[in-house]
Amino acid sequence: MSGEEEENAAELKIPDEFLKAKCLMNCEVSLILEHKYEQLQQMSEDPMNQVSQVFEKSLQYVKRFSRYKNPDAVRQVREILSRYQLAEFELCVLGNLCPETVEEAINMVPSIKTRGRAHDDEAIEKMLNDLSLIKKFE
Amino acid sequence: MYLKSTLSWNVVIPAANLDAKGLMLQKAIITRLMDDFAAKKASKDLGYFLAVTTVASIGEGKVRQHLGDVLFPVDFSCITFKMLAGEILEGTVHKILKHGVFLKSGPVDKIYLSHQKMGDYNYVAGENPYFMNEKLSKIEKGVVVRYLVIGQKYMEAEKDFQAVVSLEGDYLGPIS
Repeated sequence: MSGEEEENAAELKIPDEFLKAKCLMNCEVSLILEHKYEQLQQMSEDPMNQVSQVFEKSLQYVKRFSRYKNPDAVRQVREILSRYQLAEFELCVLGNLCPETVEEAINMVPSIKTRGRAHDDEAIEKMLNDLSLIKKFE
Repeated sequence: MYLKSTLSWNVVIPAANLDAKGLMLQKAIITRLMDDFAAKKASKDLGYFLAVTTVASIGEGKVRQHLGDVLFPVDFSCITFKMLAGEILEGTVHKILKHGVFLKSGPVDKIYLSHQKMGDYNYVAGENPYFMNEKLSKIEKGVVVRYLVIGQKYMEAEKDFQAVVSLEGDYLGPIS
Protein backbone atom coordinates (compact mmCIF):
# COMPACT_ATOMS: atom_id res chain seq x y z
CA MET A 1 0.00 0.00 0.00
CA SER A 2 1.53 3.30 -1.00
CA GLY A 3 -0.71 6.36 -0.72
CA GLU A 4 -3.50 6.46 1.79
CA GLU A 5 -5.86 7.91 -0.81
CA GLU A 6 -5.82 4.63 -2.67
CA GLU A 7 -7.33 2.63 0.16
CA ASN A 8 -10.57 1.09 -1.01
CA ALA A 9 -11.86 -2.02 0.66
CA ALA A 10 -14.47 -2.49 -2.07
CA GLU A 11 -11.63 -3.29 -4.49
CA LEU A 12 -9.62 -5.05 -1.81
CA LYS A 13 -7.06 -2.23 -1.88
CA ILE A 14 -6.33 -2.36 1.81
CA PRO A 15 -3.15 -2.19 3.91
CA ASP A 16 -1.00 -5.31 3.71
CA GLU A 17 -1.65 -6.15 7.35
CA PHE A 18 -5.28 -6.72 6.53
CA LEU A 19 -4.49 -9.00 3.59
CA LYS A 20 -1.85 -11.13 5.27
CA ALA A 21 -2.80 -11.04 8.93
CA LYS A 22 -5.80 -12.73 10.33
CA CYS A 23 -8.97 -10.69 10.17
CA LEU A 24 -11.55 -11.65 12.76
CA MET A 25 -15.33 -11.78 12.53
CA ASN A 26 -17.39 -10.02 15.19
CA CYS A 27 -18.53 -13.36 16.58
CA GLU A 28 -14.91 -14.52 16.96
CA VAL A 29 -13.89 -11.31 18.70
CA SER A 30 -16.90 -11.70 20.98
CA LEU A 31 -15.79 -15.16 22.09
CA ILE A 32 -12.22 -13.99 22.74
CA LEU A 33 -13.20 -10.85 24.65
CA GLU A 34 -15.84 -12.62 26.73
CA HIS A 35 -13.31 -15.28 27.69
CA LYS A 36 -10.84 -12.56 28.62
CA TYR A 37 -13.49 -10.80 30.67
CA GLU A 38 -14.34 -14.01 32.55
CA GLN A 39 -10.68 -14.46 33.40
CA LEU A 40 -10.59 -10.97 34.86
CA GLN A 41 -13.76 -11.66 36.82
CA GLN A 42 -12.03 -14.53 38.56
CA MET A 43 -9.13 -12.31 39.54
CA SER A 44 -10.98 -9.22 40.67
CA GLU A 45 -14.34 -8.26 42.09
CA ASP A 46 -14.85 -5.33 39.80
CA PRO A 47 -13.63 -6.47 36.38
CA MET A 48 -15.13 -3.51 34.52
CA ASN A 49 -12.63 -1.34 36.35
CA GLN A 50 -9.79 -3.48 35.05
CA VAL A 51 -10.51 -3.11 31.36
CA SER A 52 -9.90 -0.14 29.08
CA GLN A 53 -12.72 1.82 27.50
CA VAL A 54 -11.70 0.48 24.11
CA PHE A 55 -12.18 -3.05 25.45
CA GLU A 56 -15.53 -2.26 27.04
CA LYS A 57 -16.99 -0.53 23.98
CA SER A 58 -15.73 -3.25 21.66
CA LEU A 59 -17.17 -6.00 23.83
CA GLN A 60 -20.58 -4.33 23.83
CA TYR A 61 -20.39 -3.90 20.07
CA VAL A 62 -19.37 -7.43 19.14
CA LYS A 63 -21.96 -8.91 21.50
CA ARG A 64 -24.66 -6.86 19.79
CA PHE A 65 -23.40 -7.45 16.24
CA SER A 66 -22.52 -11.14 16.28
CA ARG A 67 -24.75 -13.24 14.05
CA TYR A 68 -23.54 -16.45 15.66
CA LYS A 69 -23.15 -16.98 19.39
CA ASN A 70 -22.40 -20.66 19.78
CA PRO A 71 -18.63 -21.40 19.56
CA ASP A 72 -19.21 -24.41 17.32
CA ALA A 73 -21.29 -22.35 14.92
CA VAL A 74 -18.59 -19.67 14.86
CA ARG A 75 -15.97 -22.27 13.92
CA GLN A 76 -18.23 -23.70 11.21
CA VAL A 77 -18.84 -20.30 9.66
CA ARG A 78 -15.13 -19.77 9.20
CA GLU A 79 -14.67 -23.29 7.91
CA ILE A 80 -17.43 -22.98 5.34
CA LEU A 81 -16.33 -19.56 4.11
CA SER A 82 -12.71 -20.80 3.87
CA ARG A 83 -13.74 -23.18 1.10
CA TYR A 84 -14.45 -20.31 -1.29
CA GLN A 85 -10.98 -18.81 -1.91
CA LEU A 86 -11.87 -15.54 -0.24
CA ALA A 87 -9.40 -13.03 1.14
CA GLU A 88 -9.47 -12.89 4.95
CA PHE A 89 -11.08 -9.49 4.77
CA GLU A 90 -13.86 -10.66 2.43
CA LEU A 91 -14.53 -13.71 4.56
CA CYS A 92 -15.06 -11.60 7.67
CA VAL A 93 -17.30 -9.01 5.99
CA LEU A 94 -19.55 -11.84 4.77
CA GLY A 95 -19.56 -13.51 8.19
CA ASN A 96 -20.39 -10.19 9.87
CA LEU A 97 -23.14 -8.97 7.58
CA CYS A 98 -24.67 -12.33 6.58
CA PRO A 99 -26.15 -11.20 3.26
CA GLU A 100 -29.29 -13.06 2.27
CA THR A 101 -29.12 -12.81 -1.50
CA VAL A 102 -26.36 -13.04 -4.11
CA GLU A 103 -26.99 -9.44 -5.10
CA GLU A 104 -26.67 -8.26 -1.52
CA ALA A 105 -23.45 -10.27 -1.08
CA ILE A 106 -21.91 -8.65 -4.16
CA ASN A 107 -22.91 -5.21 -2.91
CA MET A 108 -21.34 -5.86 0.49
CA VAL A 109 -18.14 -7.33 -0.94
CA PRO A 110 -17.78 -6.06 -4.53
CA SER A 111 -14.27 -7.52 -4.78
CA ILE A 112 -15.62 -11.09 -4.89
CA LYS A 113 -16.71 -10.37 -8.48
CA THR A 114 -13.54 -8.64 -9.61
CA ARG A 115 -9.86 -9.49 -9.81
CA GLY A 116 -10.66 -12.14 -12.37
CA ARG A 117 -11.75 -14.62 -9.76
CA ALA A 118 -14.47 -16.88 -10.92
CA HIS A 119 -17.03 -16.53 -8.20
CA ASP A 120 -20.12 -17.20 -10.25
CA ASP A 121 -23.54 -16.52 -8.82
CA GLU A 122 -24.12 -20.21 -8.23
CA ALA A 123 -21.07 -20.56 -6.00
CA ILE A 124 -22.09 -17.47 -4.01
CA GLU A 125 -25.63 -18.78 -3.70
CA LYS A 126 -24.35 -22.08 -2.34
CA MET A 127 -22.12 -20.27 0.15
CA LEU A 128 -25.04 -18.18 1.43
CA ASN A 129 -27.22 -21.29 1.74
CA ASP A 130 -24.55 -23.07 3.77
CA LEU A 131 -24.32 -20.04 6.05
CA SER A 132 -28.05 -19.77 6.61
CA LEU A 133 -28.14 -23.47 7.51
CA ILE A 134 -25.70 -22.87 10.37
CA LYS A 135 -27.88 -20.07 11.63
CA LYS A 136 -30.96 -22.29 11.48
CA PHE A 137 -29.38 -25.11 13.46
CA GLU A 138 -27.57 -22.99 15.99
CA MET B 1 -12.46 -4.75 10.75
CA TYR B 2 -10.99 -6.61 13.69
CA LEU B 3 -7.49 -7.90 13.19
CA LYS B 4 -5.27 -10.33 15.03
CA SER B 5 -1.81 -8.76 15.07
CA THR B 6 1.55 -9.84 16.43
CA LEU B 7 3.67 -7.13 17.98
CA SER B 8 7.10 -6.84 19.62
CA TRP B 9 7.32 -4.34 22.43
CA ASN B 10 9.88 -3.52 25.08
CA VAL B 11 8.50 -3.73 28.60
CA VAL B 12 10.33 -1.78 31.31
CA ILE B 13 10.33 -3.19 34.83
CA PRO B 14 11.56 -0.92 37.64
CA ALA B 15 14.35 -2.42 39.71
CA ALA B 16 12.07 -2.52 42.77
CA ASN B 17 9.78 -5.02 41.07
CA LEU B 18 12.56 -7.43 40.20
CA ASP B 19 12.29 -10.62 42.15
CA ALA B 20 14.54 -13.62 42.28
CA LYS B 21 11.55 -15.88 41.81
CA GLY B 22 11.02 -16.29 38.07
CA LEU B 23 7.25 -16.59 38.20
CA MET B 24 6.77 -13.29 40.00
CA LEU B 25 8.94 -11.57 37.43
CA GLN B 26 6.98 -13.08 34.57
CA LYS B 27 3.77 -11.90 36.18
CA ALA B 28 5.20 -8.39 36.61
CA ILE B 29 6.21 -8.28 32.94
CA ILE B 30 2.81 -9.43 31.70
CA THR B 31 0.93 -7.07 34.03
CA ARG B 32 3.11 -4.22 32.82
CA LEU B 33 2.52 -5.21 29.19
CA MET B 34 -1.27 -5.19 29.73
CA ASP B 35 -1.07 -1.74 31.35
CA ASP B 36 1.12 -0.35 28.56
CA PHE B 37 -1.22 -1.88 25.99
CA ALA B 38 -4.34 -0.31 27.51
CA ALA B 39 -2.58 3.05 27.89
CA LYS B 40 -1.41 3.03 24.28
CA LYS B 41 -5.10 2.97 23.22
CA ALA B 42 -4.59 3.36 19.46
CA SER B 43 -2.14 3.97 16.64
CA LYS B 44 -2.58 5.39 13.16
CA ASP B 45 -1.68 2.16 11.35
CA LEU B 46 -3.25 -0.52 13.51
CA GLY B 47 -6.24 1.37 14.87
CA TYR B 48 -7.59 0.70 18.35
CA PHE B 49 -5.87 -1.70 20.76
CA LEU B 50 -8.45 -4.04 22.29
CA ALA B 51 -6.76 -6.82 24.20
CA VAL B 52 -3.60 -8.88 24.47
CA THR B 53 -4.49 -12.48 23.63
CA THR B 54 -1.27 -14.48 23.99
CA VAL B 55 2.31 -13.75 24.99
CA ALA B 56 4.57 -15.71 22.64
CA SER B 57 7.94 -15.05 24.25
CA ILE B 58 9.76 -12.87 26.75
CA GLY B 59 13.37 -12.20 25.80
CA GLU B 60 16.50 -11.67 27.86
CA GLY B 61 16.32 -8.57 30.07
CA LYS B 62 18.69 -5.67 29.46
CA VAL B 63 19.66 -3.39 32.34
CA ARG B 64 19.30 0.29 31.51
CA GLN B 65 22.42 2.09 32.65
CA HIS B 66 22.01 4.70 35.42
CA LEU B 67 18.30 3.94 35.87
CA GLY B 68 18.53 0.39 37.08
CA ASP B 69 15.35 -0.54 35.24
CA VAL B 70 15.32 -3.69 33.20
CA LEU B 71 13.97 -3.79 29.69
CA PHE B 72 12.42 -7.00 28.38
CA PRO B 73 11.58 -7.57 24.71
CA VAL B 74 8.15 -9.24 24.51
CA ASP B 75 6.45 -10.82 21.48
CA PHE B 76 2.69 -11.09 21.78
CA SER B 77 -0.58 -11.38 19.85
CA CYS B 78 -3.39 -8.93 20.26
CA ILE B 79 -6.68 -7.82 18.75
CA THR B 80 -6.99 -4.44 17.06
CA PHE B 81 -9.83 -2.64 15.31
CA LYS B 82 -9.58 -0.28 12.37
CA MET B 83 -12.14 1.01 9.90
CA LEU B 84 -11.12 0.94 6.25
CA ALA B 85 -12.26 3.20 3.43
CA GLY B 86 -14.68 1.23 1.27
CA GLU B 87 -15.63 -1.12 4.10
CA ILE B 88 -19.27 -1.73 4.97
CA LEU B 89 -20.06 -1.78 8.68
CA GLU B 90 -22.97 -1.56 11.07
CA GLY B 91 -23.33 1.00 13.83
CA THR B 92 -25.79 2.58 16.21
CA VAL B 93 -27.07 6.17 15.93
CA HIS B 94 -26.29 8.14 19.09
CA LYS B 95 -26.81 11.76 18.11
CA ILE B 96 -29.11 13.52 15.67
CA LEU B 97 -28.24 16.95 14.28
CA LYS B 98 -29.95 19.04 11.65
CA HIS B 99 -27.17 18.42 9.14
CA GLY B 100 -26.54 14.77 9.87
CA VAL B 101 -26.16 12.07 12.51
CA PHE B 102 -23.37 10.57 14.61
CA LEU B 103 -22.98 6.81 14.85
CA LYS B 104 -20.84 4.53 16.95
CA SER B 105 -19.31 1.17 16.09
CA GLY B 106 -17.26 -0.44 18.81
CA PRO B 107 -14.46 1.86 19.99
CA VAL B 108 -15.24 4.55 17.40
CA ASP B 109 -18.00 6.99 18.35
CA LYS B 110 -17.22 9.90 16.05
CA ILE B 111 -18.71 8.45 12.88
CA TYR B 112 -20.41 11.21 10.92
CA LEU B 113 -23.14 10.58 8.40
CA SER B 114 -23.97 13.83 6.64
CA HIS B 115 -27.48 14.64 5.48
CA GLN B 116 -26.00 14.95 1.99
CA LYS B 117 -24.89 11.32 2.09
CA MET B 118 -28.21 9.96 3.30
CA GLY B 119 -30.03 9.74 0.00
CA ASP B 120 -33.70 10.68 0.27
CA TYR B 121 -33.87 11.02 4.07
CA ASN B 122 -35.05 14.38 5.41
CA TYR B 123 -34.72 15.99 8.81
CA VAL B 124 -37.84 16.06 10.98
CA ALA B 125 -37.56 18.56 13.84
CA GLY B 126 -39.08 18.03 17.27
CA GLU B 127 -38.22 17.11 20.83
CA ASN B 128 -36.70 13.89 19.52
CA PRO B 129 -35.63 14.82 16.00
CA TYR B 130 -35.08 12.12 13.36
CA PHE B 131 -34.54 11.60 9.64
CA MET B 132 -37.18 9.93 7.49
CA ASN B 133 -37.58 9.04 3.80
CA GLU B 134 -40.66 8.63 1.59
CA LYS B 135 -41.01 4.99 2.52
CA LEU B 136 -41.33 6.14 6.18
CA SER B 137 -38.06 4.47 7.10
CA LYS B 138 -36.66 6.33 10.12
CA ILE B 139 -33.14 7.08 11.30
CA GLU B 140 -33.44 8.01 14.95
CA LYS B 141 -31.46 7.62 18.14
CA GLY B 142 -30.71 3.96 18.88
CA VAL B 143 -31.37 2.75 15.34
CA VAL B 144 -28.83 0.39 13.76
CA VAL B 145 -27.56 1.54 10.37
CA ARG B 146 -25.48 -0.26 7.77
CA TYR B 147 -23.10 2.23 6.16
CA LEU B 148 -20.15 2.59 3.81
CA VAL B 149 -16.92 4.12 5.15
CA ILE B 150 -15.77 7.01 2.93
CA GLY B 151 -12.74 8.12 4.87
CA GLN B 152 -11.22 8.54 8.29
CA LYS B 153 -8.75 10.66 10.15
CA TYR B 154 -6.52 9.80 13.10
CA MET B 155 -6.05 12.44 15.77
CA GLU B 156 -2.75 11.85 17.49
CA ALA B 157 -3.49 14.04 20.51
CA GLU B 158 -6.67 12.20 21.49
CA LYS B 159 -5.53 8.86 20.03
CA ASP B 160 -8.89 8.65 18.39
CA PHE B 161 -10.33 8.18 14.90
CA GLN B 162 -13.05 10.19 13.16
CA ALA B 163 -14.82 8.77 10.15
CA VAL B 164 -17.20 10.02 7.48
CA VAL B 165 -19.66 7.50 6.11
CA SER B 166 -22.41 7.26 3.52
CA LEU B 167 -25.71 5.50 2.85
CA GLU B 168 -25.45 5.95 -0.91
CA GLY B 169 -25.54 2.44 -2.32
CA ASP B 170 -27.76 -0.61 -2.39
CA TYR B 171 -28.48 -2.51 0.81
CA LEU B 172 -27.34 0.36 3.03
CA GLY B 173 -29.47 2.14 5.63
CA PRO B 174 -31.38 1.34 8.82
CA ILE B 175 -31.78 -2.33 9.70
CA SER B 176 -34.77 -3.52 11.65
